[in-house]
Amino acid sequence: MKKIGVFVCHCGRNISATVNIDNVVKKIKKYPGVSFCTDNKYMCSDPGQDLIKKAIKEKKLGSVVIAACSPSLHEVTFRNNSVKAGLNPYLTEIANIREQCSWVHTNIEEATKKAINIIESIIEKIKLNESLSPVKVKVNPKVLVIGAGIAGIQTSLDVANAGHKVILIERSPSIGGRMAQLSETFPTLDCSQCILTPKMVEVSQHKNISLYTFSELEEISGNVGNFKVKIKKKASCVDNTKCTGCGICSEKCPVSVDSEFDEGLGKRKAIYSPFPQAVPNKPVIDKENCTFFLKDGKCGVCKIVCPFEAIDFNQKDEIIEKEVGAVIVATGYELYPMKNIKEYGAGKYPDVINGLQFERLLSASGPTEGEIHRPSDNKIPKRVAFISCVGSRDPEHHLPYCSKICCMYMVKHAFLYKEHVPDGEAIVFSIDTRTSGKDYEEFFTRAKEEGNILYIRGKPARIIKQGNELVIWCINTLTGKQLRVKCDMVVLSMAIVPSSGALQLAKELRIQTNSFGFFSEAHPKLRPVESLVPGFYLAGTAQSPKDIPDTVSQASGAAAKVLTLLSSDEISHSPIIATVNEELCSGCGICVETCPYDAREMDEERQIATVKEILCEGCGACISACPSGASQQRNLTDDQINNMIKVILQ
Amino acid sequence: MKDKKTLTTEINPEIRDILIEMGAEDIYKCYQCGKCTSACPWFQVEIYDYPVYKFSLETALGAVASSEDKKELDKEIDLIYRCVGCEACLEQCPHGISTPNILRAARRLLVDFDSFPETLKSIVQKTHNVGNPFGEHRENRADWAKGKNVPDYQEGMEFLYFPCCLPAYEARNQKVAQATVGILQKSNVSYGILGVQETCCGEVIRRIGAENIFAEVAKANIKAFSDSGVTKVLVTSPHCYTTFKNEYPDFGADFEVLHTTQYLSHLIETGKLKINKSFNKRVVYHDPCTLGRKNNIYEEPRNILKSIPGLEFLEVEDFNRNLSLCCGAGSGGLWLEWDKEERIVNVRLKQLMDTGAEIIAVACPYCLQMFEETIKSMDTDIQVMDIAEILFECL
Repeated sequence: MKKIGVFVCHCGRNISATVNIDNVVKKIKKYPGVSFCTDNKYMCSDPGQDLIKKAIKEKKLGSVVIAACSPSLHEVTFRNNSVKAGLNPYLTEIANIREQCSWVHTNIEEATKKAINIIESIIEKIKLNESLSPVKVKVNPKVLVIGAGIAGIQTSLDVANAGHKVILIERSPSIGGRMAQLSETFPTLDCSQCILTPKMVEVSQHKNISLYTFSELEEISGNVGNFKVKIKKKASCVDNTKCTGCGICSEKCPVSVDSEFDEGLGKRKAIYSPFPQAVPNKPVIDKENCTFFLKDGKCGVCKIVCPFEAIDFNQKDEIIEKEVGAVIVATGYELYPMKNIKEYGAGKYPDVINGLQFERLLSASGPTEGEIHRPSDNKIPKRVAFISCVGSRDPEHHLPYCSKICCMYMVKHAFLYKEHVPDGEAIVFSIDTRTSGKDYEEFFTRAKEEGNILYIRGKPARIIKQGNELVIWCINTLTGKQLRVKCDMVVLSMAIVPSSGALQLAKELRIQTNSFGFFSEAHPKLRPVESLVPGFYLAGTAQSPKDIPDTVSQASGAAAKVLTLLSSDEISHSPIIATVNEELCSGCGICVETCPYDAREMDEERQIATVKEILCEGCGACISACPSGASQQRNLTDDQINNMIKVILQ
Repeated sequence: MKDKKTLTTEINPEIRDILIEMGAEDIYKCYQCGKCTSACPWFQVEIYDYPVYKFSLETALGAVASSEDKKELDKEIDLIYRCVGCEACLEQCPHGISTPNILRAARRLLVDFDSFPETLKSIVQKTHNVGNPFGEHRENRADWAKGKNVPDYQEGMEFLYFPCCLPAYEARNQKVAQATVGILQKSNVSYGILGVQETCCGEVIRRIGAENIFAEVAKANIKAFSDSGVTKVLVTSPHCYTTFKNEYPDFGADFEVLHTTQYLSHLIETGKLKINKSFNKRVVYHDPCTLGRKNNIYEEPRNILKSIPGLEFLEVEDFNRNLSLCCGAGSGGLWLEWDKEERIVNVRLKQLMDTGAEIIAVACPYCLQMFEETIKSMDTDIQVMDIAEILFECL
């Protein structure tokens, strides 16, 4: 029998204030199988760890129980420490007497009893522990990036520049995302496209990046290091090897529909490239609006006019299969629907628009070529109101969170409006102005002063159309005065929500989102760019509302994390996984159906179920489902758990 | 020093805690955005400034209903009793703060100290003494039903019809009760009334702040209903509806409640009520706050009106459904007199008349009363009718 050593930590006063350590040590010393027990003020400190190593060697301990904090904090520390003393890491276990005992109780006597109980149960567990070694997995060094806005672009470039192959997929016809739609960016007011397009070109020309636009993830299987993905490349009906991007097809196409890129303020054709600097600069056919597809082959003008015979109406969707080692999710955001804000006439009055629409009005490549004309009658609006927190910070009716970027883009909008229409008046209705980025407050102050921007503190209740004007009903909460502000156009700072389809993607990837559909990070402070599932990383607004600097930082952070994963050829995988007692297995196959990771399969020849160790996550689902007890979790067998329960119930 | 008049306010935790205890528990949710204030009907009465957004913060400071100076207190009482309880503010508040509840807490405090408007004192007393806010005799409560073959409620009947005090006693409103029973008779529904055993539902006295008397009234009604074996109550007034449905259960009530528009719309939909005549008029519907915002009943009244042949249905643009404007009669408003230019009802009537309607359709006795009384002094041909009255004419 292995000699067991037990080490009880005080954790300063975190444990010892509620648990009587002396009594614990006295009691545990006498427990059957324990050959050594001692305590220390901080077991995780260097002297604490040395004490354990010394004891392992001198007392010839065969296994070690550390009674301390949660295993999620220091299990690795103590296992590594035991390894240094020559023990197998899986013969060191943690008894959690802090989170599960001292922190949640006040009665010292009862807490001490419970701590002893917890330690005894872990002693019973460790008695049957086996030496294990990690499962090694080869890592595929390629990376899949989903979404090619600024987050996907940046993360792809960082990974590709480090020498790894990147597969970048984007569902719209061009890369660039929201940033391509913006006019100028705060706080420096550089032209968004001017700083973005060089990166777009770099992506398209990078030898390590394979770009698939008009494409979506169809299916994914496998695990960290070894994913198999199927990408659906939608039929664009244009042969990109022949197309030169001359644009004559779009010019001649007779169908005109609202442009998504111009947020419905401009038009595009049924065969189109969303904007002049699109990458790739090849058009696609929008089958839902193309006359050829709607009316059984009547039309086909694009095919007739194309000088390069690039139009192929018979093109089919294509499934491309790839293997990658890691996935970065960068699916971006959209705006909360305007039609949800009935009290502002949003979606009803054409001159009540959202922030992205205003970006398109400001943009030189936009539907008004950078001149501010209001949608209803093309007039230059002489008084424009900007309203903050529309849909955001409204837990009762809409979304509880702050959308983070609106305060800054509103002041930018107001300032740029004044540049475009110097005799116009810009009025901002806001409840708090949050300018917590570098140089943001300075920009806010300068823009407000130089642009003579009027800030009114209050959330309007109504926007009512009166003749050609919109009247905003509000109260200035700083003066208490009722206000009816007439204006020509209103720009609403709509809340930011995850891109449509994000929830579906999360389901396919089997990674978590929060209740609003933003992808969940593994830890809000310490692991902000990883998802909870190994192998999946997060970048940009797919994770939470954020501005361009934060997005780019996070994208580079995700790339760095991926590069860490790819820095060795193999990764190790915990050996605490399912095993099969072949003599007991009846081959019923229930485990195969139960396994959420496709890690269980049938050996048809021997009529037993087996475990694909690389895929097994050790969740235990198959073990509880197994009717014969043949499936067991390593170092967490039924016998071990029974023994632990017995001790606890004594 | 004590007598020196100071403009500085100190935080008064005692008053604050009492108000929280009395129902102002939402105050800490407020982030002072002011949306409530421009959503409030008083905002539309342009010459009156009603600082709705201040009530949460002032309550948190203990500075509501707390002045020791008589003049100041009178001003506060005026503010506290301006609220018509229409919940337009709550409808838009990002944090779901019920300012009517905060003000009701203040009213409870004022009622406890007997410092509230005299007219309201008298209706509390009358309701307490004779079971209705008008001081009418109890034994006359079923006079509206004389000669209409209205049966007394007996156990096993489908409905108790509960007309509300206004349709029971007030001449114009009695016609609504009469039309309602007329429709019920034509559709062969088994129903009856409790007549002299009825007592006011107590809604208005509760809104005024007379919590204890309300509790007495509620318990008495619940006992009368349960003694008679009532399981389902049909009501004309949205105020009875919300009180029975949402508030009586706290006092042990266990019966189903239906508003007439819900039931009549159901009768039409299921073909149990045939509309034989057309109604060739332009009709605008006014959403009662208590039916709409408070109880989400928006479509049933519209469905009834839209199913009447010949009726041209109109909406008040921008001010319908949850964005409708109150008539001004709620939470005691019916009994309070404000300067002529300072009345919510005038603003609402203008909105309704601007639609070009010939008839204003209502589904609440308070709205009917408020509009009728105001129209009398106006130069207009527009008429006000309850939906039940319009429907009854078409059978």
